[in-house]
Amino acid sequence: MFPATAWFVAMLVLPLIVVFVFSFGERGPAGGYVPAFSFANFLNLGARWAAFKNTMVLAPIGTIACLFIAYPLAYFLAVRASAKWQTMLLILVIVPFWTSILIRSYAWIFLLGGKGLPNVFAALGLGHIQLINTPFAVLVGIVYGYLPLMVFPIYVSLERLDKRLLEAASDLGAPPLNTFLSVTLPLSMPGVATGCMLVFILLMGEFLIPAMLGGGKVFFVGNALVDLFVQSRNWAFGSAVAVALVLVMLVTVTAYMRFTRRWSGGRDDISLM
Amino acid sequence: MSDRNDFISRTKFMEELMRYKKGSVSRRHFLGVTGLGLATSVLGATLSRQAMAQANIGDRVVIASWPNYHDPADFESFKAATGAAVDLNVFGSNEEMLAKLQAGGTGWDVFVPTNYTITTYVELGLIEPLDMSKIPNYDANAFDPRFAGPGTVDGKIYAVSKDWGTTGMATNTANNNSKAVTSWKEFWDITQGAFSGRTTVHDYQLTTIGNALKYFGYSFNSVDPKELADAEKLLLDVKPHLFAITSDYQPAMRNGDAWLAMCWTGDGKQLNRDMPEIEYTLGKEGGEIWSDFYAVPIGAPHRDAAYALINYLLDPAINMKETLFHGQPVADARVNAMLTPERLADPILYPAAELLNALEFGAAETLTNPDRAELMARFKSA
Amino acid sequence: MRLYALAVYLFLYVPIGIIVLFSFNAGKAASQLQGLSVQWYGKALSNTFVVEAFQTSLIVALTSSVLATVFGTMAALALQGVKGKTRALFDAMIYIAVMVPGIVIGIATLIAMVTLFDVLNPMLKLIFASAETAPQLGLGYGSLIAAHGLFSMSLVIIIVRARIAGMDRSLIEASADLGATPFGTFRQVTLPQIFPGILAGALLAFTFSFDDFIIAFFVAGSNTTLPIYVFSSIRRGVTPEINAIGSMVLAVSLCLLITAQSILRRGAAKS
Repeated sequence: MFPATAWFVAMLVLPLIVVFVFSFGERGPAGGYVPAFSFANFLNLGARWAAFKNTMVLAPIGTIACLFIAYPLAYFLAVRASAKWQTMLLILVIVPFWTSILIRSYAWIFLLGGKGLPNVFAALGLGHIQLINTPFAVLVGIVYGYLPLMVFPIYVSLERLDKRLLEAASDLGAPPLNTFLSVTLPLSMPGVATGCMLVFILLMGEFLIPAMLGGGKVFFVGNALVDLFVQSRNWAFGSAVAVALVLVMLVTVTAYMRFTRRWSGGRDDISLM
Repeated sequence: MSDRNDFISRTKFMEELMRYKKGSVSRRHFLGVTGLGLATSVLGATLSRQAMAQANIGDRVVIASWPNYHDPADFESFKAATGAAVDLNVFGSNEEMLAKLQAGGTGWDVFVPTNYTITTYVELGLIEPLDMSKIPNYDANAFDPRFAGPGTVDGKIYAVSKDWGTTGMATNTANNNSKAVTSWKEFWDITQGAFSGRTTVHDYQLTTIGNALKYFGYSFNSVDPKELADAEKLLLDVKPHLFAITSDYQPAMRNGDAWLAMCWTGDGKQLNRDMPEIEYTLGKEGGEIWSDFYAVPIGAPHRDAAYALINYLLDPAINMKETLFHGQPVADARVNAMLTPERLADPILYPAAELLNALEFGAAETLTNPDRAELMARFKSA
Repeated sequence: MRLYALAVYLFLYVPIGIIVLFSFNAGKAASQLQGLSVQWYGKALSNTFVVEAFQTSLIVALTSSVLATVFGTMAALALQGVKGKTRALFDAMIYIAVMVPGIVIGIATLIAMVTLFDVLNPMLKLIFASAETAPQLGLGYGSLIAAHGLFSMSLVIIIVRARIAGMDRSLIEASADLGATPFGTFRQVTLPQIFPGILAGALLAFTFSFDDFIIAFFVAGSNTTLPIYVFSSIRRGVTPEINAIGSMVLAVSLCLLITAQSILRRGAAKS
């Protein structure tokens, strides 16, 4: 246990303490950090309100969009797909996840750009529709990037479900929708909770997808953070934004876990496989 | 003079140049046929190719530069001549380069800073005074001091001139009744009107804030809080109408997504060369004139290769190829002597005097000013 | 239902199809097909910087995932016997490590290390008489492996612990009753039971490290990992070379995945 503890202390606890200390400091004359003690950085957080708002709106929407697209697929894979194809189809869900998200997002720059889908829409007489560099483009990228992370936990929970229960329900004459609502859905809730939390956590710190598909116009907190470190070189304010982001996440994720534990049967692990 | 060297037509020259670029003829043949070998040797540039090949400079050199700014063929020929492969990293603003250097561990050997940043790099101890004995191709007398001067700080040369240019705008005139936008007032107004969703601005505080300041007739370099507040209001009003905030706008202009771009000379030239309907113009009110440099960061891991690369790129024959590729004018008289009169009269590269006179060089203060940095960050995160 | 699944698979694979298609482009543009060729694969494979970035990514991913798996498994096993405050503290650290965004970990590691090096490097210069030969600390492999390993180790602990929780404890007791040494019990009873969890954790750790951009972006120093190389290539203006790299990574991972799957299936059939 010692190596793990040392690792946590050196790479997690100490750096986070440094960020916390820096957040009370000041920007140096040419950028960087000089020690100081003031709450000015925290009082100035309002200047990044738009980025926080974007993140707090788009992260939940992206998570829910992922859920709605992933659930029927997971259901199909776990319950309906023939055993022969099941493994193959599952692998096909993970494979895109193994190509760099950078390259996959680049494909979307092309698809959503003027020569891609808008071109098709224009040919259909729908006029000019801008897709790239909009929140919609970022949402497409998010769903595309994180779909496998949502499909898997839901699939696992549906797979564990005793199929005889479904047969029993249908033998007893329950309509399929009722069976789904009263048997399948409640039993798959742990998977839904895990998938949503995974995607939501990753989205709260997202940088790449908005950077690539947002054209500098759709900013998440992650983008604001990178900007503060690689452009305006304000390490002190950047640290304050980082502290605020971590606090927001601690609060939302803890609240979310409290709330979901009720229907996920008290499991406190994150089942990934 | 031999009969081969005394006359070469423009078309023949371009033909030879293309052949050379494709690699089907050797550089010696190219220089011989075009008479450039003679010109360069007369003008005193030493072709230190053999010298470079003999010295062991390692197998690589890392350069940090700007988008669309180097002919890949020149890096290939550098590798062929010296054995050192060139790793090119692209950045969209001087601030980004400074941030990287301040954090340390960039691994860069050469980078391309702009005139107004050099004093700050020297003050912060981030760049080294150049060992001019390793850059024999640099002839101080051949360079226009207006553009090469900022490379010298306290009597020491810290950076040598790469090229110079202006910051204006590129309009796709096919979308504006064949008319180009010609003032910053019009630039920001049309973006909020007919060109809504079709304009790009730089991801770079100096030019984006500077040209917003020009809307009100303020100085491009202003750090006055009231003037910056006006610029911020304009930028925030314009933001919903922008297509993108990016320093690499060529792809969007080329595929028709963007119709108007805040644009540097070279990008304007490259776009106009391939798509004549895209015109490059300067703002009537003024704007930026700049010059870029090669500098070596302190602690460059491949220092010998850094000097070899700078020396190679300043070879007038190579520099001429570079300027034909990137479309920025160069400050080296030896290169200009080889360019055609048409090129030297190109209004994109060499704007009319009254337009040029209204332009300002960036001021050192804008690089470190916290208000401008924070304004840009707020604009982007809004 | 089937139609819906088909639509989702189309959504997943059209962009990948485009990437693969353009990797065979004979022209230079990444958005206009001008005949087919494999030249970009040759270019990518003979580009030293691509090959090195790939090697760097591989070294970092292998080292960090192996270390994370070993230490993470050790911690997960040790945590069984830990209760009370220590346990709560450890759980909190795992929880925070998984939850804090990679971007914050990257920035925190960067500023902590830069600050530390600013203090240590002048001291090193004092210790070593000559400033020229004094070793200087900097960002690089060490910081990359350490930062990636942090997240990977937390993943491994969580997965292995879940596996331990689901383990049949009576077997361990039986083994002890039959006189096996604790190590023998571990090797013959515990390890085989938790092994799938360890393997899954290691695979996830490797994938995470190999694909990570944002942490590496801040802590890689002058090293270039494959995602960093791809990112700077996109900024440089994309050529089909990037598509070729992406297609090759895809093909290799597909092969690995299918091999792993068939090995697991054979293993399952045997037992």
